[in-house]
Amino acid sequence: MAAIIPVIFLVVFIVAAVRKVKIYDEFSAGIKEAGRFTLSLVPCLAAIFMMCELFEVSTLSDKLTQFLKPAFSALGIPPELTKLVLIKPFSGNGSLAYLTEIINEYGADSYISRCACVLYGSSETVFYISAVYFASLKRKNLAVPILIVLISTFLTTVIACLICKIL
Amino acid sequence: MNAVFGFIFIVSLIALCVISPADFLPAMLDGAEKSLTTAATLFCVYALWMGLGNVAEKCSLTKGATKLLKPLSGKLFKTDNPEALEGITLNLSCNLLGIGGAATPYAVRAVNALEKDKNEFAQKLLFIINATSIQILPTTVIALRAAAGSAAASDIFAPSLICTAFSTVFAAGIYILGCRAWRR
Repeated sequence: MAAIIPVIFLVVFIVAAVRKVKIYDEFSAGIKEAGRFTLSLVPCLAAIFMMCELFEVSTLSDKLTQFLKPAFSALGIPPELTKLVLIKPFSGNGSLAYLTEIINEYGADSYISRCACVLYGSSETVFYISAVYFASLKRKNLAVPILIVLISTFLTTVIACLICKIL
Repeated sequence: MNAVFGFIFIVSLIALCVISPADFLPAMLDGAEKSLTTAATLFCVYALWMGLGNVAEKCSLTKGATKLLKPLSGKLFKTDNPEALEGITLNLSCNLLGIGGAATPYAVRAVNALEKDKNEFAQKLLFIINATSIQILPTTVIALRAAAGSAAASDIFAPSLICTAFSTVFAAGIYILGCRAWRR
């Protein structure tokens, strides 16, 4: 499995050499574009991360977690995972840190950890993606798509917890 | 986004003013700092893949892949804009290979190309597909579990695949059907 990525590089570079593409020039041109693209993301990232930090230190995230725990348990989502479910749409780093914590605390092969892994692997940072994709556009009427994605992510979470019990 | 941001910000601020106003500045600066460290990590991923992507583009490898997928992606996204189709193809391939970080620049390129056609449907569909995650190989998670001493680190492969397929098909399906119903 680990060989896939180097092989992709190998194939592309060989084809490029055969077709007489200036590999170094084009590779660095791509990186130049990467630099420009990363810089264009920084304002979105800074604003979103500030919001996440603020949400965390205001202890609102803990209160919301406490508040939602009973509802989540009723749907079959272990209460230990409530915070992960809440953080995931906002922050990839935050949820990854939390996932690591869960794995360390409950053991890699426990039901809780397996649920956490599946729901981490099958969902995305919705708000981050919406901010990045549509950063350069003027009209952004994203309420409906975001809502659809959030509903579907939540349904998937319920299903993930169910599947992990069976498989 | 503006509404969500404003709401969370204001509510958190009110709570913070009551509990511990002194934590405000450190928290905000911390967030800003994290944006830079994240940007640095992202730049490394993008540099690698956009460098490769540019080489692949110049030897018209990506054109081949785009042409191959055009009957499918063109119909699904209702577009024949070649730049957008290329972005969409590369974005979906990166996602399926589990290199999600590399997928973002291509999606943004496709979204900007679609803007010229005013093809809002395709932009939002691409967003939905990406935001519901279509990773086939959850590489990060498997690596994490292996590092934590799991007996069978990849046994979450099947459940993850089912869940990620369900979420994408469900959300994209609802959106497509919803758009059709709206027009009638």
